[in-house]
Amino acid sequence: MQEKIIKYIEELSSEEIDESIEATEDLLGSGILDSLGMMKLIAFLEEEFCCKVLPEEMVIENFMTVLHITDYLETKLVEKQ
Amino acid sequence: MDFSWTQKQIEFKKEVIDFAKTNLGTTYIEEDYNCKFSKKDWKACADFGLLGLSVPKKYSNQKEEVDVLSAILAMEALGYGCKDNGLPFAMNAQMWTVQTPIAHFGTEAQKDKFLPKLTSGEWIASHALTEPEAGSDVFSMQTTATKTDGGYILNGKKHLITLGPICDFALVFAVTNPKVGKWGLSVFLVEKGTEGFTVSPNKAKMGLRTVPIGDLTFTDCFVKEENRLGAEGAGWSITNHSLELDRCSVHASQVGAMERQLEQSITYVKKRKQFGKSVGRFQSVSNRIADMKLRLETSKLLLYKVAWLKSQGKPAMLEGAMLKLQISENFVNSSIDAIRNHGGYGYLVENEVERDLRDAVGGVIYAGTSDIQRNIISQIIGL
Repeated sequence: MQEKIIKYIEELSSEEIDESIEATEDLLGSGILDSLGMMKLIAFLEEEFCCKVLPEEMVIENFMTVLHITDYLETKLVEKQ
Repeated sequence: MDFSWTQKQIEFKKEVIDFAKTNLGTTYIEEDYNCKFSKKDWKACADFGLLGLSVPKKYSNQKEEVDVLSAILAMEALGYGCKDNGLPFAMNAQMWTVQTPIAHFGTEAQKDKFLPKLTSGEWIASHALTEPEAGSDVFSMQTTATKTDGGYILNGKKHLITLGPICDFALVFAVTNPKVGKWGLSVFLVEKGTEGFTVSPNKAKMGLRTVPIGDLTFTDCFVKEENRLGAEGAGWSITNHSLELDRCSVHASQVGAMERQLEQSITYVKKRKQFGKSVGRFQSVSNRIADMKLRLETSKLLLYKVAWLKSQGKPAMLEGAMLKLQISENFVNSSIDAIRNHGGYGYLVENEVERDLRDAVGGVIYAGTSDIQRNIISQIIGL
Protein backbone atom coordinates (compact mmCIF):
# COMPACT_ATOMS: atom_id res chain seq x y z
CA MET A 1 0.00 0.00 0.00
CA GLN A 2 2.73 2.43 1.05
CA GLU A 3 4.77 1.81 -2.10
CA LYS A 4 1.77 2.34 -4.36
CA ILE A 5 0.94 5.63 -2.68
CA ILE A 6 4.54 6.90 -2.82
CA LYS A 7 4.82 5.88 -6.48
CA TYR A 8 1.65 7.80 -7.32
CA ILE A 9 2.78 10.91 -5.43
CA GLU A 10 6.16 10.81 -7.17
CA GLU A 11 4.41 10.64 -10.54
CA LEU A 12 2.22 13.59 -9.54
CA SER A 13 5.11 15.73 -8.39
CA SER A 14 8.00 14.52 -10.55
CA GLU A 15 9.11 18.04 -11.50
CA GLU A 16 8.99 19.39 -7.95
CA ILE A 17 11.12 16.76 -6.24
CA ASP A 18 14.50 15.23 -7.07
CA GLU A 19 14.76 12.61 -4.36
CA SER A 20 12.36 9.85 -3.44
CA ILE A 21 9.66 10.66 -0.92
CA GLU A 22 9.91 9.47 2.66
CA ALA A 23 6.78 8.06 4.30
CA THR A 24 7.15 10.60 7.11
CA GLU A 25 7.39 13.75 4.96
CA ASP A 26 4.69 16.41 5.27
CA LEU A 27 3.04 16.28 1.85
CA LEU A 28 1.19 19.61 1.79
CA GLY A 29 3.42 21.49 4.21
CA SER A 30 6.68 20.74 2.40
CA GLY A 31 5.17 21.58 -0.99
CA ILE A 32 5.38 18.04 -2.39
CA LEU A 33 1.67 18.38 -3.17
CA ASP A 34 -0.49 21.44 -3.59
CA SER A 35 -4.24 21.46 -2.85
CA LEU A 36 -5.11 20.12 -6.28
CA GLY A 37 -2.47 17.41 -5.97
CA MET A 38 -3.95 16.37 -2.64
CA MET A 39 -7.42 16.17 -4.17
CA LYS A 40 -6.03 14.04 -7.01
CA LEU A 41 -4.31 11.79 -4.46
CA ILE A 42 -7.58 11.35 -2.57
CA ALA A 43 -9.40 10.47 -5.81
CA PHE A 44 -6.63 7.94 -6.53
CA LEU A 45 -6.91 6.38 -3.06
CA GLU A 46 -10.69 6.04 -3.41
CA GLU A 47 -10.36 4.25 -6.70
CA GLU A 48 -7.32 2.14 -5.90
CA PHE A 49 -8.47 0.98 -2.48
CA CYS A 50 -12.23 0.98 -3.14
CA CYS A 51 -13.10 3.30 -0.29
CA LYS A 52 -14.84 6.64 0.21
CA VAL A 53 -12.91 9.42 1.93
CA LEU A 54 -15.52 11.50 3.73
CA PRO A 55 -15.04 15.29 3.71
CA GLU A 56 -14.70 15.40 7.49
CA GLU A 57 -11.89 12.83 7.28
CA MET A 58 -9.71 15.11 5.12
CA VAL A 59 -7.70 16.40 8.05
CA ILE A 60 -4.05 16.52 9.02
CA GLU A 61 -4.41 13.47 11.29
CA ASN A 62 -5.20 11.35 8.22
CA PHE A 63 -3.31 13.01 5.36
CA MET A 64 -0.22 14.79 6.61
CA THR A 65 2.24 12.07 5.51
CA VAL A 66 2.14 8.79 3.63
CA LEU A 67 2.38 7.07 7.00
CA HIS A 68 -0.72 8.87 8.22
CA ILE A 69 -2.52 7.91 5.01
CA THR A 70 -1.69 4.22 5.28
CA ASP A 71 -2.74 4.14 8.95
CA TYR A 72 -6.00 5.85 8.05
CA LEU A 73 -6.69 3.55 5.10
CA GLU A 74 -5.87 0.40 7.05
CA THR A 75 -8.31 1.43 9.78
CA LYS A 76 -10.93 2.25 7.18
CA LEU A 77 -10.50 -1.03 5.34
CA VAL A 78 -10.75 -3.01 8.59
CA GLU A 79 -13.98 -1.14 9.44
CA LYS A 80 -15.34 -2.03 6.01
CA GLN A 81 -14.82 -5.81 6.52
CA MET B 1 -26.20 7.28 -21.75
CA ASP B 2 -29.50 8.94 -20.95
CA PHE B 3 -29.78 12.72 -21.21
CA SER B 4 -33.50 12.89 -20.54
CA TRP B 5 -35.16 14.57 -17.58
CA THR B 6 -38.03 12.96 -15.73
CA GLN B 7 -41.52 14.41 -16.12
CA LYS B 8 -41.33 15.52 -12.50
CA GLN B 9 -38.08 17.41 -13.10
CA ILE B 10 -39.50 19.08 -16.22
CA GLU B 11 -42.60 20.16 -14.29
CA PHE B 12 -40.45 21.48 -11.44
CA LYS B 13 -38.42 23.53 -13.93
CA LYS B 14 -41.63 25.00 -15.38
CA GLU B 15 -42.90 25.81 -11.89
CA VAL B 16 -39.70 27.72 -11.08
CA ILE B 17 -39.87 29.66 -14.35
CA ASP B 18 -43.53 30.53 -13.75
CA PHE B 19 -42.74 31.55 -10.19
CA ALA B 20 -39.85 33.78 -11.29
CA LYS B 21 -41.79 35.46 -14.08
CA THR B 22 -44.83 36.04 -11.87
CA ASN B 23 -43.30 36.96 -8.53
CA LEU B 24 -39.93 38.55 -9.18
CA GLY B 25 -39.33 42.04 -10.49
CA THR B 26 -40.22 42.73 -14.11
CA THR B 27 -37.45 45.29 -14.46
CA TYR B 28 -34.24 45.87 -12.54
CA ILE B 29 -33.07 49.11 -14.12
CA GLU B 30 -33.43 51.16 -10.96
CA GLU B 31 -32.03 48.48 -8.63
CA ASP B 32 -29.05 48.03 -10.95
CA TYR B 33 -28.42 51.77 -11.17
CA ASN B 34 -28.67 52.30 -7.41
CA CYS B 35 -26.91 49.04 -6.41
CA LYS B 36 -30.06 48.06 -4.54
CA PHE B 37 -30.62 44.61 -3.07
CA SER B 38 -34.22 43.34 -3.18
CA LYS B 39 -35.06 41.69 0.12
CA LYS B 40 -38.58 41.22 -1.25
CA ASP B 41 -37.35 39.02 -4.12
CA TRP B 42 -35.01 37.15 -1.78
CA LYS B 43 -37.89 36.37 0.58
CA ALA B 44 -40.15 35.35 -2.33
CA CYS B 45 -37.51 32.82 -3.45
CA ALA B 46 -37.20 31.55 0.11
CA ASP B 47 -40.97 31.17 0.46
CA PHE B 48 -41.08 29.25 -2.82
CA GLY B 49 -38.46 26.88 -1.40
CA LEU B 50 -35.49 27.71 -3.61
CA LEU B 51 -33.10 28.56 -0.78
CA GLY B 52 -33.79 25.18 0.76
CA LEU B 53 -32.63 23.19 -2.27
CA SER B 54 -29.09 22.73 -0.94
CA VAL B 55 -29.97 21.20 2.45
CA PRO B 56 -32.05 18.28 3.79
CA LYS B 57 -35.77 19.04 3.84
CA LYS B 58 -35.96 19.06 7.64
CA TYR B 59 -34.21 22.43 7.53
CA SER B 60 -36.36 23.94 4.78
CA ASN B 61 -39.93 24.21 3.61
CA GLN B 62 -39.45 21.59 0.87
CA LYS B 63 -42.07 18.83 1.01
CA GLU B 64 -39.61 16.16 -0.08
CA GLU B 65 -35.88 15.72 -0.52
CA VAL B 66 -34.65 17.31 -3.76
CA ASP B 67 -31.88 15.54 -5.67
CA VAL B 68 -28.83 17.41 -6.96
CA LEU B 69 -29.90 17.25 -10.61
CA SER B 70 -33.31 18.75 -9.82
CA ALA B 71 -31.71 21.46 -7.68
CA ILE B 72 -29.34 22.41 -10.51
CA LEU B 73 -32.22 22.41 -13.00
CA ALA B 74 -34.20 24.68 -10.67
CA MET B 75 -31.32 27.17 -10.49
CA GLU B 76 -31.05 27.07 -14.28
CA ALA B 77 -34.78 27.82 -14.43
CA LEU B 78 -34.34 30.73 -12.02
CA GLY B 79 -31.61 32.17 -14.25
CA TYR B 80 -33.98 31.91 -17.18
CA GLY B 81 -37.05 33.33 -15.47
CA CYS B 82 -35.37 36.09 -13.46
CA LYS B 83 -33.91 39.02 -15.39
CA ASP B 84 -31.73 39.98 -12.45
CA ASN B 85 -28.56 37.85 -12.67
CA GLY B 86 -27.50 39.11 -9.26
CA LEU B 87 -30.29 37.39 -7.35
CA PRO B 88 -29.46 33.81 -8.38
CA PHE B 89 -25.74 34.58 -7.99
CA ALA B 90 -26.22 35.69 -4.38
CA MET B 91 -28.61 32.86 -3.58
CA ASN B 92 -26.20 30.28 -4.93
CA ALA B 93 -23.39 31.77 -2.85
CA GLN B 94 -25.36 31.36 0.35
CA MET B 95 -26.88 28.00 -0.57
CA TRP B 96 -23.72 26.13 -1.50
CA THR B 97 -20.92 27.87 0.37
CA VAL B 98 -22.71 28.53 3.66
CA GLN B 99 -25.76 26.29 4.00
CA THR B 100 -24.22 23.12 2.55
CA PRO B 101 -21.08 23.27 4.74
CA ILE B 102 -23.24 23.85 7.84
CA ALA B 103 -25.53 20.97 6.84
CA HIS B 104 -22.53 18.68 6.43
CA PHE B 105 -20.01 19.78 9.05
CA GLY B 106 -22.26 21.47 11.61
CA THR B 107 -23.34 20.19 14.99
CA GLU B 108 -27.05 19.52 15.43
CA ALA B 109 -27.27 22.72 17.45
CA GLN B 110 -25.62 24.73 14.64
CA LYS B 111 -27.89 23.20 12.00
CA ASP B 112 -31.01 23.89 14.08
CA LYS B 113 -29.94 27.43 14.85
CA PHE B 114 -28.76 28.62 11.45
CA LEU B 115 -30.30 26.59 8.62
CA PRO B 116 -34.05 27.25 9.11
CA LYS B 117 -33.37 30.98 9.39
CA LEU B 118 -31.37 30.91 6.14
CA THR B 119 -33.73 28.79 4.09
CA SER B 120 -36.72 30.86 5.24
CA GLY B 121 -35.02 34.07 4.14
CA GLU B 122 -35.08 35.51 7.65
CA TRP B 123 -31.29 35.61 7.84
CA ILE B 124 -28.69 36.19 5.16
CA ALA B 125 -25.16 34.82 5.39
CA SER B 126 -21.88 35.27 3.60
CA HIS B 127 -18.88 33.03 2.91
CA ALA B 128 -15.72 34.83 3.95
CA LEU B 129 -12.60 33.30 2.43
CA THR B 130 -10.95 35.90 0.17
CA GLU B 131 -8.57 38.49 1.65
CA PRO B 132 -6.81 41.55 0.24
CA GLU B 133 -3.59 39.53 -0.23
CA ALA B 134 -5.18 36.12 -0.67
CA GLY B 135 -7.25 35.92 -3.85
CA SER B 136 -6.36 33.08 -6.19
CA ASP B 137 -3.66 32.09 -3.67
CA VAL B 138 -6.35 31.76 -1.06
CA PHE B 139 -4.38 29.64 1.39
CA SER B 140 -1.93 32.45 2.03
CA MET B 141 -4.60 34.07 4.18
CA GLN B 142 -3.61 36.26 7.10
CA THR B 143 -6.74 36.18 9.28
CA THR B 144 -5.92 34.39 12.52
CA ALA B 145 -7.99 32.69 15.19
CA THR B 146 -6.08 32.33 18.45
CA LYS B 147 -7.34 29.82 20.99
CA THR B 148 -8.42 31.27 24.27
CA ASP B 149 -10.66 30.24 27.17
CA GLY B 150 -13.99 29.10 25.75
CA GLY B 151 -13.28 30.11 22.19
CA TYR B 152 -11.06 31.99 19.77
CA ILE B 153 -9.93 35.56 19.14
CA LEU B 154 -10.20 36.49 15.45
CA ASN B 155 -8.09 39.18 13.82
CA GLY B 156 -7.94 40.02 10.13
CA LYS B 157 -9.81 41.31 7.12
CA LYS B 158 -11.91 39.60 4.47
CA HIS B 159 -12.31 41.19 1.08
CA LEU B 160 -14.88 41.17 -1.76
CA ILE B 161 -17.37 39.22 0.31
CA THR B 162 -20.69 38.57 -1.42
CA LEU B 163 -23.63 39.69 0.78
CA GLY B 164 -21.06 40.83 3.38
CA PRO B 165 -22.56 44.29 4.03
CA ILE B 166 -26.00 42.85 4.86
CA CYS B 167 -25.10 39.49 6.39
CA ASP B 168 -26.58 38.31 9.67
CA PHE B 169 -23.59 36.06 10.12
CA ALA B 170 -20.49 35.07 8.20
CA LEU B 171 -18.79 31.74 7.67
CA VAL B 172 -15.21 32.82 8.22
CA PHE B 173 -11.95 31.03 7.44
CA ALA B 174 -8.99 31.74 9.71
CA VAL B 175 -5.58 30.29 10.51
CA THR B 176 -5.58 28.40 13.81
CA ASN B 177 -2.22 26.68 13.36
CA PRO B 178 0.22 28.46 11.03
CA LYS B 179 2.85 25.72 11.46
CA VAL B 180 0.91 23.20 9.37
CA GLY B 181 0.01 25.42 6.42
CA LYS B 182 -3.21 24.44 4.64
CA TRP B 183 -4.05 21.96 7.39
CA GLY B 184 -4.11 24.79 9.90
CA LEU B 185 -7.29 26.51 8.72
CA SER B 186 -10.50 26.47 10.70
CA VAL B 187 -13.97 27.87 10.11
CA PHE B 188 -16.12 30.02 12.39
CA LEU B 189 -19.70 31.23 12.29
CA VAL B 190 -19.51 34.86 13.37
CA GLU B 191 -22.79 36.60 14.07
CA LYS B 192 -23.66 40.21 13.41
CA GLY B 193 -23.31 42.27 16.55
CA THR B 194 -20.36 40.27 17.86
CA GLU B 195 -17.93 42.73 19.41
CA GLY B 196 -14.97 43.34 17.10
CA PHE B 197 -16.83 42.27 13.94
CA THR B 198 -17.59 45.08 11.48
CA VAL B 199 -18.73 45.19 7.86
CA SER B 200 -18.02 47.82 5.24
CA PRO B 201 -20.73 49.59 3.25
CA ASN B 202 -21.68 48.10 -0.09
CA LYS B 203 -19.07 48.68 -2.80
CA ALA B 204 -20.28 49.71 -6.24
CA LYS B 205 -19.17 47.40 -9.02
CA MET B 206 -19.43 46.93 -12.78
CA GLY B 207 -22.13 44.26 -12.77
CA LEU B 208 -24.20 42.12 -10.41
CA ARG B 209 -25.01 45.46 -8.85
CA THR B 210 -28.09 44.19 -7.02
CA VAL B 211 -25.82 42.06 -4.82
CA PRO B 212 -24.11 43.84 -1.93
CA ILE B 213 -20.38 43.13 -1.70
CA GLY B 214 -17.86 44.40 0.81
CA ASP B 215 -15.21 43.79 3.44
CA LEU B 216 -15.46 42.16 6.84
CA THR B 217 -13.05 43.17 9.60
CA PHE B 218 -12.27 41.26 12.77
CA THR B 219 -10.49 43.09 15.56
CA ASP B 220 -9.92 41.05 18.71
CA CYS B 221 -13.25 39.45 17.94
CA PHE B 222 -14.12 36.72 20.43
CA VAL B 223 -16.00 33.75 18.96
CA LYS B 224 -17.28 30.98 21.20
CA GLU B 225 -15.97 27.48 20.62
CA GLU B 226 -19.53 26.34 19.89
CA ASN B 227 -19.43 28.57 16.80
CA ARG B 228 -16.49 26.73 15.23
CA LEU B 229 -17.73 24.76 12.21
CA GLY B 230 -16.20 21.28 12.03
CA ALA B 231 -13.02 20.25 13.75
CA GLU B 232 -10.08 22.55 14.26
CA GLY B 233 -8.10 22.27 11.02
CA ALA B 234 -11.14 21.31 8.90
CA GLY B 235 -10.95 24.52 6.84
CA TRP B 236 -9.24 22.95 3.84
CA SER B 237 -11.79 20.17 3.65
CA ILE B 238 -14.69 22.63 4.03
CA THR B 239 -13.42 24.79 1.15
CA ASN B 240 -13.23 21.77 -1.11
CA HIS B 241 -16.44 20.13 0.02
CA SER B 242 -19.00 22.17 -1.88
CA LEU B 243 -16.75 23.90 -4.40
CA GLU B 244 -17.87 21.79 -7.36
CA LEU B 245 -21.55 22.04 -6.43
CA ASP B 246 -21.25 25.81 -6.07
CA ARG B 247 -19.61 26.11 -9.50
CA CYS B 248 -22.28 23.89 -10.95
CA SER B 249 -25.20 25.76 -9.50
CA VAL B 250 -24.06 29.35 -9.97
CA HIS B 251 -23.29 28.61 -13.60
CA ALA B 252 -26.60 26.76 -14.00
CA SER B 253 -28.24 30.15 -13.52
CA GLN B 254 -25.93 31.61 -16.18
CA VAL B 255 -27.02 28.86 -18.57
CA GLY B 256 -30.62 29.83 -17.90
CA ALA B 257 -29.77 33.46 -18.60
CA MET B 258 -28.06 32.46 -21.87
CA GLU B 259 -31.21 30.67 -22.97
CA ARG B 260 -33.33 33.76 -22.18
CA GLN B 261 -30.79 35.90 -24.04
CA LEU B 262 -30.87 33.68 -27.11
CA GLU B 263 -34.68 33.69 -27.28
CA GLN B 264 -34.74 37.49 -26.93
CA SER B 265 -32.19 37.81 -29.71
CA ILE B 266 -34.11 35.53 -32.06
CA THR B 267 -37.36 37.43 -31.43
CA TYR B 268 -35.65 40.76 -32.05
CA VAL B 269 -33.71 39.90 -35.20
CA LYS B 270 -36.85 38.39 -36.77
CA LYS B 271 -38.88 41.51 -35.99
CA ARG B 272 -36.26 44.16 -36.80
CA LYS B 273 -36.30 45.01 -40.51
CA GLN B 274 -33.56 46.74 -42.51
CA PHE B 275 -33.09 46.87 -46.28
CA GLY B 276 -36.57 45.35 -46.64
CA LYS B 277 -36.05 42.17 -44.64
CA SER B 278 -35.54 40.89 -41.13
CA VAL B 279 -31.98 41.44 -39.96
CA GLY B 280 -31.94 37.76 -38.97
CA ARG B 281 -31.89 36.94 -42.68
CA PHE B 282 -28.41 38.43 -42.96
CA GLN B 283 -25.77 35.75 -42.46
CA SER B 284 -23.58 37.89 -40.23
CA VAL B 285 -26.50 38.03 -37.78
CA SER B 286 -27.75 34.46 -38.19
CA ASN B 287 -24.22 33.11 -37.74
CA ARG B 288 -24.02 34.94 -34.44
CA ILE B 289 -27.31 33.37 -33.37
CA ALA B 290 -25.92 29.94 -34.32
CA ASP B 291 -22.80 30.62 -32.22
CA MET B 292 -24.99 31.61 -29.25
CA LYS B 293 -26.96 28.38 -29.61
CA LEU B 294 -23.76 26.33 -29.75
CA ARG B 295 -22.40 28.05 -26.63
CA LEU B 296 -25.67 27.35 -24.83
CA GLU B 297 -25.72 23.68 -25.73
CA THR B 298 -22.04 23.01 -24.95
CA SER B 299 -22.56 24.80 -21.64
CA LYS B 300 -25.53 22.58 -20.86
CA LEU B 301 -23.55 19.43 -21.64
CA LEU B 302 -20.80 20.35 -19.19
CA LEU B 303 -23.29 21.52 -16.59
CA TYR B 304 -25.35 18.37 -16.69
CA LYS B 305 -22.26 16.16 -16.68
CA VAL B 306 -20.93 17.77 -13.50
CA ALA B 307 -24.40 17.70 -11.91
CA TRP B 308 -24.67 14.02 -12.77
CA LEU B 309 -21.20 13.24 -11.36
CA LYS B 310 -22.09 15.02 -8.12
CA SER B 311 -25.45 13.23 -7.96
CA GLN B 312 -23.47 9.97 -8.09
CA GLY B 313 -21.16 11.16 -5.30
CA LYS B 314 -18.22 11.23 -7.71
CA PRO B 315 -15.42 13.79 -7.87
CA ALA B 316 -15.56 16.34 -10.68
CA MET B 317 -12.32 18.31 -10.38
CA LEU B 318 -11.52 18.40 -14.07
CA GLU B 319 -15.13 18.66 -15.23
CA GLY B 320 -15.88 21.35 -12.65
CA ALA B 321 -12.98 23.49 -13.84
CA MET B 322 -13.99 23.03 -17.49
CA LEU B 323 -17.57 23.93 -16.62
CA LYS B 324 -16.53 27.10 -14.80
CA LEU B 325 -14.24 28.17 -17.63
CA GLN B 326 -16.56 27.32 -20.49
CA ILE B 327 -19.84 28.66 -19.14
CA SER B 328 -18.47 31.90 -17.72
CA GLU B 329 -16.59 32.70 -20.94
CA ASN B 330 -19.57 31.66 -23.05
CA PHE B 331 -21.85 33.98 -21.09
CA VAL B 332 -19.52 36.92 -21.72
CA ASN B 333 -19.28 36.16 -25.44
CA SER B 334 -23.01 35.58 -25.88
CA SER B 335 -23.77 38.76 -23.94
CA ILE B 336 -21.66 40.77 -26.40
CA ASP B 337 -23.37 38.99 -29.29
CA ALA B 338 -26.78 39.78 -27.80
CA ILE B 339 -25.87 43.49 -27.80
CA ARG B 340 -24.62 43.26 -31.40
CA ASN B 341 -27.86 41.55 -32.41
CA HIS B 342 -29.89 44.36 -30.88
CA GLY B 343 -27.68 47.14 -32.29
CA GLY B 344 -28.18 50.57 -30.70
CA TYR B 345 -31.28 49.28 -28.90
CA GLY B 346 -29.11 46.77 -27.06
CA TYR B 347 -26.65 49.45 -25.98
CA LEU B 348 -29.28 51.44 -24.09
CA VAL B 349 -29.70 50.62 -20.41
CA GLU B 350 -33.48 51.01 -20.58
CA ASN B 351 -33.83 47.93 -22.78
CA GLU B 352 -32.06 45.62 -20.33
CA VAL B 353 -29.81 43.91 -22.86
CA GLU B 354 -26.43 45.41 -21.99
CA ARG B 355 -26.76 44.55 -18.28
CA ASP B 356 -26.14 40.85 -18.98
CA LEU B 357 -22.65 41.71 -20.27
CA ARG B 358 -21.78 43.69 -17.16
CA ASP B 359 -23.13 40.86 -15.01
CA ALA B 360 -21.31 38.19 -17.02
CA VAL B 361 -17.82 39.65 -16.59
CA GLY B 362 -17.83 38.84 -12.86
CA GLY B 363 -18.17 35.16 -13.78
CA VAL B 364 -14.70 34.97 -15.30
CA ILE B 365 -13.25 36.33 -12.03
CA TYR B 366 -15.17 35.07 -9.00
CA ALA B 367 -14.80 31.55 -7.55
CA GLY B 368 -11.54 31.00 -9.44
CA THR B 369 -10.61 33.10 -12.46
CA SER B 370 -10.53 31.69 -15.98
CA ASP B 371 -6.72 31.73 -15.73
CA ILE B 372 -6.85 29.57 -12.62
CA GLN B 373 -9.34 27.18 -14.24
CA ARG B 374 -6.96 26.73 -17.17
CA ASN B 375 -4.14 25.99 -14.70
CA ILE B 376 -6.29 23.39 -12.96
CA ILE B 377 -7.30 21.73 -16.22
CA SER B 378 -3.74 21.55 -17.56
CA GLN B 379 -2.43 20.26 -14.23
CA ILE B 380 -5.06 17.54 -14.01
CA ILE B 381 -4.37 16.29 -17.51
CA GLY B 382 -0.69 15.92 -16.74
CA LEU B 383 1.20 19.17 -17.28
